[in-house]
Amino acid sequence: MLHNFKYTFITLFKNKALIFWTFAFPILLGTFFQMAFQDIENSEKLHKMEIAIVENERYQNSPIWKETFASLSNENNPNPLFDIFFVKEENEATELLKKDEVVGYLKLEDTPKIVVQKSGIYQTIFKSVVEEIQEQEILYNAWVQKNLEDHFSGNSQTPIDATWYQNLYQEMIEQLNTETKVQDITRSHLSYTMIEFYTLIAMAALYGGILGMTAINQVLANMSEKGKRMAMSPISKGKLVFSSVMASYFVQLIGITLLFFYTIFVLKVDYGNHLFQVVLLALVGSFAGLSLGVATASILKVSENTKIGVILAITMLGCFLSGMMGITMKYIIDKNIPMINKINPASMITDGFYALYYYDTFDRFYNNIVSLLLFSFLMLALSIIYLRRQKYDSI
Amino acid sequence: MTVFKAFLKVLNRYKGTVILYTVILVFFAGFSLKNNENGTSFVASKPSILIVNHDQEEGITQNLVQYIEKNSEQVNIKDGEYAEDDAIFYRDANYIIYIPKNFRDDFLQGKNPSIDIKSTGDYQASLAEMLLNRYLRVANFYFKITNSEEETIQLTENTLAEQVEINVTSKLDVNRLEKVATYYNFTNYCILAGCIYIVCFILSSFKEYGVKKRTIISSTPYAKLNRNLLLSNSLFAIALWIFYVLISIFLIGDVMFSMHGLFYIINSFLFTLCALTFAFLIGNLLQNKNAISGLVNVIALGSSFLCGSFVPMEWLPSSVLTIAHTLPSYWYIKTNECLKIVEVFDMETLKPILFNMGILLCFSIVFVLITNIISSRKRKIG
Repeated sequence: MLHNFKYTFITLFKNKALIFWTFAFPILLGTFFQMAFQDIENSEKLHKMEIAIVENERYQNSPIWKETFASLSNENNPNPLFDIFFVKEENEATELLKKDEVVGYLKLEDTPKIVVQKSGIYQTIFKSVVEEIQEQEILYNAWVQKNLEDHFSGNSQTPIDATWYQNLYQEMIEQLNTETKVQDITRSHLSYTMIEFYTLIAMAALYGGILGMTAINQVLANMSEKGKRMAMSPISKGKLVFSSVMASYFVQLIGITLLFFYTIFVLKVDYGNHLFQVVLLALVGSFAGLSLGVATASILKVSENTKIGVILAITMLGCFLSGMMGITMKYIIDKNIPMINKINPASMITDGFYALYYYDTFDRFYNNIVSLLLFSFLMLALSIIYLRRQKYDSI
Repeated sequence: MTVFKAFLKVLNRYKGTVILYTVILVFFAGFSLKNNENGTSFVASKPSILIVNHDQEEGITQNLVQYIEKNSEQVNIKDGEYAEDDAIFYRDANYIIYIPKNFRDDFLQGKNPSIDIKSTGDYQASLAEMLLNRYLRVANFYFKITNSEEETIQLTENTLAEQVEINVTSKLDVNRLEKVATYYNFTNYCILAGCIYIVCFILSSFKEYGVKKRTIISSTPYAKLNRNLLLSNSLFAIALWIFYVLISIFLIGDVMFSMHGLFYIINSFLFTLCALTFAFLIGNLLQNKNAISGLVNVIALGSSFLCGSFVPMEWLPSSVLTIAHTLPSYWYIKTNECLKIVEVFDMETLKPILFNMGILLCFSIVFVLITNIISSRKRKIG
């Protein structure tokens, strides 16, 4: 038994194509993911935008506009929203817009006017800010009117002069700035590109099935000459199968460990802070991949290449549904047809890592572990039914 | 003809793969092409906001909900914390607003109730936050002045309804062109993978020991065999290209018949040539049939990821783009990106585009030269 274990292990390791797909390919793909995705989330954050303002008389004479834009573009501000080019004439602004150096420009006439090159999120934010400033003018007028009414009905002695207006403006701004109470209760760990790397682990775990399949094929009399010789040998089939499967599981775990080290230390993937659960999921996930390979090898009576094709197809379809080619796919399936991802081992693995990363509780995680174990035992049970009592009079 | 027949036979064996790549293309392109709005007038972006209202939908609460709903995309999410948190993680909702119980009563007592939110932290969420803050500030302000719910609602509505005039200068249908660019960027993967896969399998079938021995001793001159192989492979590549162009016309429509469309088509043709010559080079270098699918994946996926075929170029870090300069895909995709913002076709705007196309041609010529050197060295077998 130990003999078979050792030699299965060696033959698996010497199969270059096999080692490429199970060891090198996930690492390569992970590197590509990292290169392509490392900046995505950052570029989706709101960045400072360049705008132009036509500094005409109307703008010069309205403190609300001037002061608000000054504070929104202040470099000392922690998050300045704008980088402003002040121009004297509108055609200068048009020129800047044409060269794509600004998102848009603002010109105050009787009412403010914005010119942009196209619709978009930055343009919408620009418009929204301008509307907010315009709003302040309206609010200010209402505020002045109210205070004037109070002033005259209350027989106040304070003279109505520039300082009075100035104070009113300050009061209003203070009020507006302190009014809202909005509390952010979002969970931390929002990096959705992590899902890509989790599907990668899922892929590697299921690709491991090819190892299990190759190992089983070596024992099957109808698959190889070696299988015929093995079938003749006076060792029980159960022992042979068991030791072959264990050898391939062992090879698979080496591959997964390498991938984990690579993703953690080189690609800086975040698996959350629960080491025990991560290891458990890796072990169980690989086991599910192994059982898939064993089942494919035992149930299908086709050539080795077709068997590989079947495992690759199942793995790729599973990974696709769990978000490898577009993270939204997993969400769409989870939301609309949750049944599919409940029977998809790639999704169980991905979702397990996701649950560890994003949620504080473990119930979702252990749900996935139990589903994976059920899947594995079902596959193994099927394999046993097909493998037992296989005898050939001639072959 | 014999060569061509053999070619078709091998092609037929691997047609599944070509069909698979095409299905992927149509699926992904179709996915990103689905909303078809016209882009020449200003359309405000709307963040996806989910409102979880624990209060009665009356008075100020109702007005707040209405205002948010008017200015955002509604998302349909099942109740429950898991569903909400998942929605935030997968960016289905950019922002969730939890209106607390008794919000209205507290507001009317001047308590300034606090509102919980969940946010994805991206620019859509920033826009959503602006919406919410804006409403609360204006409403609070008016309530302080008027002390009446009805008046507050009325005044707030009037104030928030004030719009700023906004003009769009570009006469280009940017959204449509964006879609064309997305589609053609994606074809980078399909053309590259399709060409390398098929050409390598065909060349390696002709290089099989027995087959090669027979062709060498046959009366067909070696040059003729090579020429026929090159011709039939080119036919395949061109058929593939025409096929993808037809799909683009089918999916995108009339934009493809404009000047922009013409340049997209020319550009993709040049890239197909480049992919074909590259595939020929690899096919000549490769001895082992088992290595083909591995190599196809590494090359096609690698250049697609690094050059902005899957992830838009503007989101790639500059270090990655520097490496990408060495790959033909980069120049192909860069032209696609340049094309979508060209308004008038004149010498100034065409210059960078023609330059990129020239580089693609250079790549093709270099690949052909290297292939010739290698294949003439490899002709003899023992």
